[in-house]
Amino acid sequence: MPFFTELFVSEIMKMPVLDPKGDELGRVKDLIIVKGEPLPKVSALIIEKKRDIFKLLWSDLNIFNKRIISANVYVDALQPYELNEKDLLLVRDILDKQIVDANGAKVVRVNDVKLQGFNSNAVLIAVDVGMRGILRRLGVERGGEDIMRIFKKHMSYNLISWNYIQPLEPKLTKISLTVPRQMVSELHPADIAEIISQISHKEGAIFFKDLDIDVAAEALSELKPETQVDIISGMETEKAADIIEMMPPDEAADILSDLPADKAKEILESIEKEDAEDIQELLSHEEDTAGGLMTNEFIAYPPEATVRRAIEAFKKDAEEVETVYYIYITDDNERLAGVVSLRDLLLADLDAKLSDIMETKLKTIFPDADEMEVSEIISKYNLVALPVVDTEDRLLGIVTIDDIMDRILPPAAKRKRRKV
Amino acid sequence: VSRWRKIIIFLSIMGPGIITANIDNDASGITTYSVAGARFGYSLLWILIPTTIALVVIQEMVARMGAVTGKGLSDLIRENYGIRSTFFMMAALFTANFGTTVAEFAGWAASMQILGFSKYLMVPLGALFIWILVIKGSYRSVERILLFACLLYFGYVLSGFMAKPDWKEVFYRTFVPQMKWNSEFVLLSIAIIGTTITPWMQFYLQSSIAEKGIKKEEYKVSRLDVFVGCGITDIIAFFIIVTCATTLFPHGVKIHEASEAAMALRPLAGNYAFLIFAVSLANAALLGAIIVPLATSYYICEAMGWERGVNKTFKEAPQFMGIYTFMIVIAALLILIPGAPLVFLMVMSSVLNGLLLPFVLLYALSLVNNKKIMGDYVNPRAYNVISWGTVGVLSLLAIFFVITLLLPMGVGYG
Repeated sequence: MPFFTELFVSEIMKMPVLDPKGDELGRVKDLIIVKGEPLPKVSALIIEKKRDIFKLLWSDLNIFNKRIISANVYVDALQPYELNEKDLLLVRDILDKQIVDANGAKVVRVNDVKLQGFNSNAVLIAVDVGMRGILRRLGVERGGEDIMRIFKKHMSYNLISWNYIQPLEPKLTKISLTVPRQMVSELHPADIAEIISQISHKEGAIFFKDLDIDVAAEALSELKPETQVDIISGMETEKAADIIEMMPPDEAADILSDLPADKAKEILESIEKEDAEDIQELLSHEEDTAGGLMTNEFIAYPPEATVRRAIEAFKKDAEEVETVYYIYITDDNERLAGVVSLRDLLLADLDAKLSDIMETKLKTIFPDADEMEVSEIISKYNLVALPVVDTEDRLLGIVTIDDIMDRILPPAAKRKRRKV
Repeated sequence: VSRWRKIIIFLSIMGPGIITANIDNDASGITTYSVAGARFGYSLLWILIPTTIALVVIQEMVARMGAVTGKGLSDLIRENYGIRSTFFMMAALFTANFGTTVAEFAGWAASMQILGFSKYLMVPLGALFIWILVIKGSYRSVERILLFACLLYFGYVLSGFMAKPDWKEVFYRTFVPQMKWNSEFVLLSIAIIGTTITPWMQFYLQSSIAEKGIKKEEYKVSRLDVFVGCGITDIIAFFIIVTCATTLFPHGVKIHEASEAAMALRPLAGNYAFLIFAVSLANAALLGAIIVPLATSYYICEAMGWERGVNKTFKEAPQFMGIYTFMIVIAALLILIPGAPLVFLMVMSSVLNGLLLPFVLLYALSLVNNKKIMGDYVNPRAYNVISWGTVGVLSLLAIFFVITLLLPMGVGYG
């Protein structure tokens, strides 16, 4: 077994492999990669001689570097090899493909792969995603360096350690590590959405499946509707329901309303009854009206409650509710009587009643109001949320400023990737 | 699913084919059609039918690849044929498309001049407008402007009717092929095909379909979109030829450029025809000048794995913004420098496009027949005969076109 330090795969492509007498066994065509600890390793070389393809085991090599590759076996010991889909081949399956750089939170293309010696094995240590990799593949890395030197600049290496790579191909996932998966889950959901919007829909669905449910739920709401539908309809109903359940009911309703009716029904049936009812209620409103935008998660207490009791209850309720800055005051018939801001609640005398400190002149809107009307009111009165009431003043839900923002200024990943 | 939603889904999938088709009729396309009509009357009209068929065959395959793989053509070429082929293809595509961008700006300058504006004012303004639109503008504003611009093409249909052609003669010439064995006639017929089926369009169409997230299940709708788009391309071409053939040909007016066609139309067909031709040319040229540089930077960055996107900054996507800015700035400058080798550049670009087309088509055809990539959506055997035939004929014509361009024959087109 050969000892070696490091090299780039492009440096040994088409290089002759010699037998102990110095005769050519064939030329390097590809490398078979298998799972290894801690990193994937090379298990054999695929060499080609006059159209015949052979497999040369790593253990049969004795010199392996960018100047010379030689084996300690002769031509009669070579095993004929047939290209198949089972083996993972470095050049065929990794080179030139897209991968996710979990560290930088972006999609990159593999220009070259760096191998390093480790315990007498060759392990995949990093991928080259930079200009150097491209030039090396084209055989002009030196020339590039010379040109850069004229401009008194150094051409930097742009290597990503294999530890940070999240492959997109299902086949590659087998040899990938668990680290990048964790790292991806730690990314901001908006970054995950950006990554998904940059890869093909098939790859996006695979990538998404690997995410933790709560991360998935957050990332999903950042995506544009078509992609959301794609991903959810490609999933098992159980998992889809788990994710939908984690989302705020208004966003869940938006996604369900875009799904085919029977799929939406299936998912609704697998969601906990209470959540499903909330969503179903929201589904009955048109998407671009106050009713369609609102969420029915809000905090509401009776007018006769004391501030002390309200704060205690708030600590428990606030965990599950998205927008907590207003505490609504509703009577026994769910009629909206007033509102107390979180600040006023915290500053008020603990024994005061909510009805004493509440603001009764408050702006409300009917569920069928147009989204523009909603945004005008929110903007004019500088509100964080606007309560939606029916004709009898019953509080149905609230439209929050971030929902309105999303309608007026969709986040980057919701816009289409191609600009023309 | 309500009926409204169904219509909306349909409309949301429609688009890439039609937009691609419209952009295909850019400044050089309009020039070719005008010259063909003025020089040979209705007798070149029949070429449009085989052109449409070839266009449909090619675009259908490319669109299918986009829907099935969700990837662009440059992505697929990079992933399956390695970096070397991709690099040279991208280098050639860049040069060819740069020439095309110059041609678009030339068309814009010419149309502005005949409308009475100074090109020294309008070319920098146009370039700045395009640049800012993409650098600062949002996707929505770009899309709205593009869709509106596509509508303007129907001006040509109007001018065709206004010219009051002899419809019987027009249809006869359209459906009964006629060949004249003189070099100009042959060259112009090849030029019509060459300007309609270009390499960059294939990249553009496949990416737009992939970006739109159209899936193989929705592909049937997408195919209709492509068919309609191909139809529109050639209907516009048809009316340009008819207009010039009806008004200019009988008077023996010789033209070399689309702007000359517009000028020549004024005394013969009136002010409206002149205005339609001038404004449509300006529109087509500007549209091309937006799309060609933008599309080019997209494919190159996609293939090379560089950061890309209009909502990125110069710092985030230096290569993308760099290529885009370079193409626009240098092309606009070349138009303004007196004595710049414009004709040479445009001929070079046609030559490169002609050389590139066979390669692009061969890659596309071998990719679309790759079971690993396309699964059940590979070409059916019978269809393959048609596609190989089309690709073969187109490649031969492209090579022939290149040879004639390189030979100093002094044909009045280039």
